Amino acid sequence: MDFNIADELKSVQELARQILADFTEVEQLKQVEQQEQGFDEKLWGALADAGLLGIDIEETLGGTDLGFYALTALCEEVGRTVAPVPAIPVLVSAAGTLRRFAAAGQKENWLPGIADGSLLVTAATEEYNNDNPANPNCRAEAVEGGYALSGTKTCVPAASQSRRILVPATTGEELVVALVDPAAAGVSLSPQVVTSGETRHELHLDKVQVPDAEVVATGGKALDAMNWVQQATRTALSAMALGVCDKMMRMTGQYTSEREQFGRAIATFQAVSHRVADCYIDVECLRLVTQQAASLIDQGRPADEASTIAKIWCGDVTHRVSQASQHCHGGTGVDRDYPLHRYCLWARQIELSAGSSAQLTAQLGQAIGAAYSSP
Amino acid sequence: MNIELTAEQKALQQEVREYMTTVMTPELLEEMKIPEYKEGGGPEFRKQYARMGADGWIGLSWSRELGGRELSHVEQYIFTDEVVRSGFAYPFLTTEAVTPVIAANANEEVREEVVGGVRDGKVVIAIGYSEPNAGTDLASLTTKAVRDGDDWIINGQKMWTSLANFADYVWLAARTDPDPAKKHKGLTMFLVPTDIAGFSHTPVHTLGVRTNATYYSDIRLPDKYRVGEVNGGWKLITGQLNIERLSLFTHGQVDALYQGVCHWAAETPSPSGGSLIDQPWVQHNLAKVRSGLEVVKLICWKQAWAMDQGALDMADASVAKVYGSEFFVELYRLLLEVMGQAGTISADSPGAVLRGKIEFRWRVGSILTFGGGANEVQRDIIAMAGLWMPRTR
Ligand SMILES: Cc1cc2nc3c(=O)[nH]c(=O)nc-3n(C[C@H](O)[C@H](O)[C@H](O)COP(=O)(O)OP(=O)(O)OC[C@H]3O[C@@H](n4cnc5c(N)ncnc54)[C@H](O)[C@@H]3O)c2cc1C
Repeated sequence: MDFNIADELKSVQELARQILADFTEVEQLKQVEQQEQGFDEKLWGALADAGLLGIDIEETLGGTDLGFYALTALCEEVGRTVAPVPAIPVLVSAAGTLRRFAAAGQKENWLPGIADGSLLVTAATEEYNNDNPANPNCRAEAVEGGYALSGTKTCVPAASQSRRILVPATTGEELVVALVDPAAAGVSLSPQVVTSGETRHELHLDKVQVPDAEVVATGGKALDAMNWVQQATRTALSAMALGVCDKMMRMTGQYTSEREQFGRAIATFQAVSHRVADCYIDVECLRLVTQQAASLIDQGRPADEASTIAKIWCGDVTHRVSQASQHCHGGTGVDRDYPLHRYCLWARQIELSAGSSAQLTAQLGQAIGAAYSSP
Repeated sequence: MNIELTAEQKALQQEVREYMTTVMTPELLEEMKIPEYKEGGGPEFRKQYARMGADGWIGLSWSRELGGRELSHVEQYIFTDEVVRSGFAYPFLTTEAVTPVIAANANEEVREEVVGGVRDGKVVIAIGYSEPNAGTDLASLTTKAVRDGDDWIINGQKMWTSLANFADYVWLAARTDPDPAKKHKGLTMFLVPTDIAGFSHTPVHTLGVRTNATYYSDIRLPDKYRVGEVNGGWKLITGQLNIERLSLFTHGQVDALYQGVCHWAAETPSPSGGSLIDQPWVQHNLAKVRSGLEVVKLICWKQAWAMDQGALDMADASVAKVYGSEFFVELYRLLLEVMGQAGTISADSPGAVLRGKIEFRWRVGSILTFGGGANEVQRDIIAMAGLWMPRTR
């Protein structure tokens, strides 16, 4: 048992923290927010130059191959700075899946470009009322030389800037995971403004022809890929939430130590300081379950339960820390000129992505029921 | 980062688990049904405690010089976790918290007598800190020790002195400097043999366990029973608190309750058909317990690991205390809800579930939220040490 964070990883995290901080001054964030895509390409380029986009990509494909745990550490830093970059959809959900499940040629097509920042590939993991990518409603019809995909995905991040979108679909008998070109005939993208402020897209597919060369996996392998993407995305979201919540809590600790009412810092009221202390406890709990899930995935070990538990905590902790932070800040907490509000918006976005606490608690409960029922 | 037990650690866990099944004899289980002996002290308890000593299981974390095995904190935690899980009333505060302090600070002769006795499983020590008017604000205690030649004359009353009804010594905090400006600095630690003239106790029956009020009336105690410097007691009290905590919120004991209820719910028919465990609300409660338990496990491991690295963070230690104590109470409720009315049936009545263990555990649950440093004080520490917030008032 070893909770130690390797020195190499610490320096990567330090580097990421530095670059992200340089690009996320409030004025810079405001500027990016005014652009339609809400994506800071310069920052993405700087992360690429520092080798941070290829953390979980093989060295032969232009990455540094530090592994999945290191990638979650980057996600944590992105959360800490609410940096407007698509770290999870591109680096975790898309690149992580390609790395582990795609054919060599497909990896060569996309991973070097992701690592050097020259192109984006994203993933469409959610459908309306269905956030399980391993059980899509989207149809894949076998056609000459490939599949024709039809269906609707929702809230796809970075969809309009991506060269390909990883899409799971079903033939009715088996799962198919394919790369869809957003410029292909039959693809339509409709912008969706979401809580975090980003523009996501509804992706509508109408008999979109996908050649065999763009099919990443089918059958059992596709199922493994989509189970992996679900666990990895939940874990990465938990890591990002960790950064978001840790920062919110520290802002609140500092603000309440400085803000005076009734002739004293409001933090000297036990009711206030204890609410912040409760955030600290919550953040520590989230850190532990996230580290556990991330290290299991990093080692290629089963992480279904661990990532579910991490995302349950993630949903609860983002909600609680966000509300406590706003409350203890008073009106300042909701003022758009004060940085806290962005964290609160991200917290809500993360909470409701890839499965809410209520839903995952129900799923975990069903799994427990099944485990103890079998003779 | 690899948060799993190593093969050696798993082997130790298994070894202790198996050994403890031989300690929990049917005779001992029978004896523990007697309220007086629930927390130990009966003849069968004495016999098994001494056997653990003879078999070399006591003081594993101590130095080799003292007869220990110098286990790491992680290994010590694994041992503790399994012993608590077994249900044996092992006197952890005696063996892990107080004895090492005595070994490091006591007079040669007393050290031999007490440390040797503990190692052999023959000595139990009660903790005499709290008083009727000194609880959370422990430093305000007033039990007095006055020097008289080679002896100390001790007068006062302690409250909640658990195990004092059968313990061999009380580890007593007494005031040796009456100047109230030196609240923390005027305390000295003593070992009071419970057979000494002037010592007496009366029972205090709580919701769950029996504890005691203890009385110190003109006790003449030889100076050799003083431990550490005169007026240097506070350091000895606070120095072992983190170690003490590591034995309070272990994972195995509650994990066993959770598993027990899962099995029970799987075997128990639901009035609407199927088993109780098929009900969504039951699954909901079990999943809540499951996700909270995972953190108990990780927090315990991380604390033990951090102590081995020599770097137990102050705020983290308080996080563990608050989370552990409050989640335990929550866990009892979530599991009792699954059991419903059956959760109210006590140990020896027909229909008791899991031998009434959770019914009982709920009774002692709240002790840990105010004891061992009230959770409000822990939250103050978290805000100050973890977030550099100002002291509350
Ligand atoms: C079953 C049992 C066994 C025990 N065994 C022992 C033993 O073996 N040896 C021993 O020495 N003691 C023992 N104790 C005593 C235990 O340590 C005390 O109960 C504990 O220290 C709390 O003190 P108190 O009960 O006087 O409560 P108080 O100190 O009166 O506290 C009551 C409540 O006041 C509030 N409070 C207190 N201080 C603050 C603050 N600074 N900020 C905000 N709120 C505050 C908290 O809500 C707290 O829970 C035992 C107690 C019990 C019930």
